[in-house]
Amino acid sequence: MKHHYKEGLLTIAAGALLALAGAAFVSDALAQQTAARKDLVLNGDAKCTRCHDADDNPQILEIGKTKHGTRADGRTPTCTSCHGESENHINKPANAAERPKPDRTFTKKSSTPIAERNEACMSCHRNDSQRSHWEGSQHQSRDVACTSCHQIHTAHDAVREKLSQPQVCFTCHKEQRTQINRPSRHPIPEGKVVCSDCHNPHGSVGPKLVKRDSVNDTCYTCHMEKRGPFVHNHEPVSEDCMNCHQPHGTVAENLLKARPPFLCHQCHTPHGPNIVQVLGQQTPGQALSSTSTGKNVINISMARGCTNCHTQVHGSNNPSTTEPSPQFMLR
Amino acid sequence: MTMSRKIGSCTTILASAVLATLAPAYADEAQDAATKPDTRSISLGAGLVSGDRNSRSLFSQYNGLRKNDSVLLLDFDYVRRNEESGTWSTARGRNLGLDTRELGFGMQRQGIWSLSVDYNEIVRNDPRIANTALSGAGTTTPTITRLAAPGTGSELTFQTKREILGLSGYAWINDRFQFEASFKNEDKDGTRRWGRGYDCATAVCPRTGVNAQSATVQTWALLMVPEPINSNTKQAEAKLNFHTDKLFVTAGYYGSFYTNNNGSLTPSVPGALNGPTLANQTGAAVPLVTTGQGLQNVLQLPMALAPDNQAHQFYLAGNYAFTPKVRSTFKLAYTHATQNENFAGMGLTGAPAGRSDLGGVLNSTLAQFGITARPMPKLSLLGNVRYEKKDDQTPLAAYTAESGQIRPSPWNNTRVSNTKLGGKAEASYLLPANIRGTVGVDYEQIKRELPPDNVFVAGISALRGKTEEVTYRGDLRRSISETVTGSIGLAHARRTGSNWYNLINTAPLVYGTTNSPGAEWVRAGTFPSMLTDRTRDKLKGSVDWAATEKLSVTFAAETSYDRYTPPNQIGGLRSGRNWLYSLDASYALSDKWKATAYGSVGSQAFRVEQGNNGYIANVSDRNTAFGVGLLGKPTGVLDVGATLSYVQDLNRFGLGVDPFGTTPATVAANSAQAALGLPDVTFRETRLNLFANYAIDKRSDVRLDVIHVITTLNEWTWGGQNGLPFFTYGDNTTVQLNPNQHVTFIGARYIYKF
Repeated sequence: MKHHYKEGLLTIAAGALLALAGAAFVSDALAQQTAARKDLVLNGDAKCTRCHDADDNPQILEIGKTKHGTRADGRTPTCTSCHGESENHINKPANAAERPKPDRTFTKKSSTPIAERNEACMSCHRNDSQRSHWEGSQHQSRDVACTSCHQIHTAHDAVREKLSQPQVCFTCHKEQRTQINRPSRHPIPEGKVVCSDCHNPHGSVGPKLVKRDSVNDTCYTCHMEKRGPFVHNHEPVSEDCMNCHQPHGTVAENLLKARPPFLCHQCHTPHGPNIVQVLGQQTPGQALSSTSTGKNVINISMARGCTNCHTQVHGSNNPSTTEPSPQFMLR
Repeated sequence: MTMSRKIGSCTTILASAVLATLAPAYADEAQDAATKPDTRSISLGAGLVSGDRNSRSLFSQYNGLRKNDSVLLLDFDYVRRNEESGTWSTARGRNLGLDTRELGFGMQRQGIWSLSVDYNEIVRNDPRIANTALSGAGTTTPTITRLAAPGTGSELTFQTKREILGLSGYAWINDRFQFEASFKNEDKDGTRRWGRGYDCATAVCPRTGVNAQSATVQTWALLMVPEPINSNTKQAEAKLNFHTDKLFVTAGYYGSFYTNNNGSLTPSVPGALNGPTLANQTGAAVPLVTTGQGLQNVLQLPMALAPDNQAHQFYLAGNYAFTPKVRSTFKLAYTHATQNENFAGMGLTGAPAGRSDLGGVLNSTLAQFGITARPMPKLSLLGNVRYEKKDDQTPLAAYTAESGQIRPSPWNNTRVSNTKLGGKAEASYLLPANIRGTVGVDYEQIKRELPPDNVFVAGISALRGKTEEVTYRGDLRRSISETVTGSIGLAHARRTGSNWYNLINTAPLVYGTTNSPGAEWVRAGTFPSMLTDRTRDKLKGSVDWAATEKLSVTFAAETSYDRYTPPNQIGGLRSGRNWLYSLDASYALSDKWKATAYGSVGSQAFRVEQGNNGYIANVSDRNTAFGVGLLGKPTGVLDVGATLSYVQDLNRFGLGVDPFGTTPATVAANSAQAALGLPDVTFRETRLNLFANYAIDKRSDVRLDVIHVITTLNEWTWGGQNGLPFFTYGDNTTVQLNPNQHVTFIGARYIYKF
């Protein structure tokens, strides 16, 4: 028993010594770390991360996972590049009741003017071909903050992920949120086409922030077969696809703003004297008979409507000078 | 003390020591995990989808879940950053078990160079399915065969698939110069539901006397003909970027090239098809008119498919800071586009003498300059000018011969030259009470090349060479309190234009000035809506309320009203009205649970008047949408989420009779028909998405996804719904869509991180 008592004491003493040694090591390391104010994720971040560390707000440190956190790239920022030197925040003035906020903050309730917030980003990102036309763009002139759409302190910025990007845009663009669920649409909910495939939210020369110089040039990036020029052009098509199409989604087929013949009749004189109608819901006097002509109202109203015959609405390259003439977009 | 107890004591001591000494190392590892991007994961699982292709055709339009009831779910991610060099290596795979797969590989030394390769498949399955006897779908020579009765043929589906390969990269040459390049190759294959139809014109296949439309002679036909798609698109862009402290400029080239492997479509058509009545569908086929060129021969003439075309654009774009508070943007671009595919090579004959191809040339010039200034802290100014000229230099030739028209035959091809000049000026000032007020004016002028006398423009009453639109707008934004911000905006626009030219008559007539057209043209004419005079008024407003730290609410409303004034005050589009109200809310129930909800109602409506065939229509789409979502983390290892959404579109057509109708019999017939009206078209979709992700351990998760969708699409476009007969093509082909679809998808995955 005595022997065991000695062994026990020895074990406890040895353990205590080692633990003390370990603790001393940790303590020393912490002391050194504090003294050197070791940067955690960004070059020069110790000024901020001595307080805002993983215990305070681990989300902040996730910036290390992003392109901003690539320390080997000498262009990447430190905390104060965006938030300002913030001397009063770091060293709270004695007469201040509360610690002042950093010089620049980016939350929704921030008192920092949006232009100043955006300048923190644009001072670097203005020299970028995707953002060269930010100044004067709809988003810039309407005081949209970069951080309204982008999350900086996360590896997965929702607006840069194809599946989640539309939800970010729908925060403001409510009408499109409904349109993209209609039966005729682009594959936006599936993440195969996203807002930024057609729009450059950072500014462009085209209308509606379309990526290329015009609506048509943007549409042609995927629908180049519509570009022509053709032997027989359809002028509204050449001028602006959106004369007929609503690209965010429609109930009518082919993303048409309205179903034919109502769409076509906004410009064109129709065939025949009859009102639009459908099979099975006609007055006796208007039902099809064996003498009904091809320009009967059913052929114009149902199926593909006017394009049952005028199939080449985007233009025809048929050069034939014989009748029936291709100029009526029939072949 | 036994040997084992001694060992146990020593182990305890050693463990204590090791733990104590390694504590900083563990801390470093934990910090690395929280701050380093390195990710390696693979997700493998299976998905089951209910129903068949008809009962899930709307759900599976784009998601690759049309063909098979069970699918492989395979994704992977690899991200690694070398901290010493700043070199990123990435690989990513999505939907690898589906025909919507995506693969991407990238490598970049951040700030120095970057290279990436992406492969993407996009599939579209037409929600509508044909029942037909047609053979050869997808070829340029399909054969049409008449079914004995509708619905007795085979199902024909339509699918297009894009396979896209992209390469992109950049390299910094030095601190000032960067080179960027990208290339995209896209192959598109499949079939698209298309058609062909013809009603014999007197000069083509005369239909008088014994050849008049009757129970035994058919003078017209409509056919469903699939368009064969087999094309390639290439896009290449190269940019050289240069910047100083004040200037950023890009000099670039963008080339785009379209190649269609199909030149024309030549269907084989039987000599007898259905007559126009429902009784003809199951009776004997009616022979097509055989006089002149014969309807069968006409329907077998080649149909032009999209021709090869190409464009080269050179541009200079960028921005310049005159001072930190005065900045500008600019772009100059020149585009040379051509279309010169050989007609014979496309399978098209009959071109005018001397023309083997169109020789299409379209040169475009673009110039843009914008400036922003902040002369005072409270004042911002903005100005922008944009000029674009499209110069169609395609040679004119007599392509069109159509006798029986007013104009002398033949006519030339049409060209699409136009010049657009646009600009805007805007001032924004911070008023007292923290209100920011903005006023602006926008201007747009479009000049179009009017067709000369030797060109006939079909199906419209008149054209005008120039339109101008001026928009005046203003808005106020205010932070009402620390938690509430609001805005309201108003805009008024007016579009006018030059004289209208009547193109129906031999000599162009100028409406309202000289040689004014007759009364009938004035009453029944239709004027292109893009050219008519228009006033547009818009009003919109929004309120953001951060009620508490946990609750935020946004309300938005907007409305617009357009009035179109064609020169005859009657024909074509007359008005348009849109409005939308929406309410969004987000509530953080706790640190671990967050709820969202939204709702919106809106309407898009327009009124079209047609003096020519005596109707008016008030067409509207009334839409309603709402959704709720819940996202939570009930335990440290479990993430769950649920969203429920509902959308509804109700389309109405509001038919009425042209109040200016002058033919009593037509007015009476149309009045009776208008009383019957058109059935509403209704689309509804209710969607429930559920997911749960459970972390088995540090390296592995399991995830379950459940999607349930109920869709209703009641429409009359193709008939066959709500007791109405099918619209039936001349060969008894019908097109169908299951109007009530219920689909459930269940997917389970195992995710391993290594």
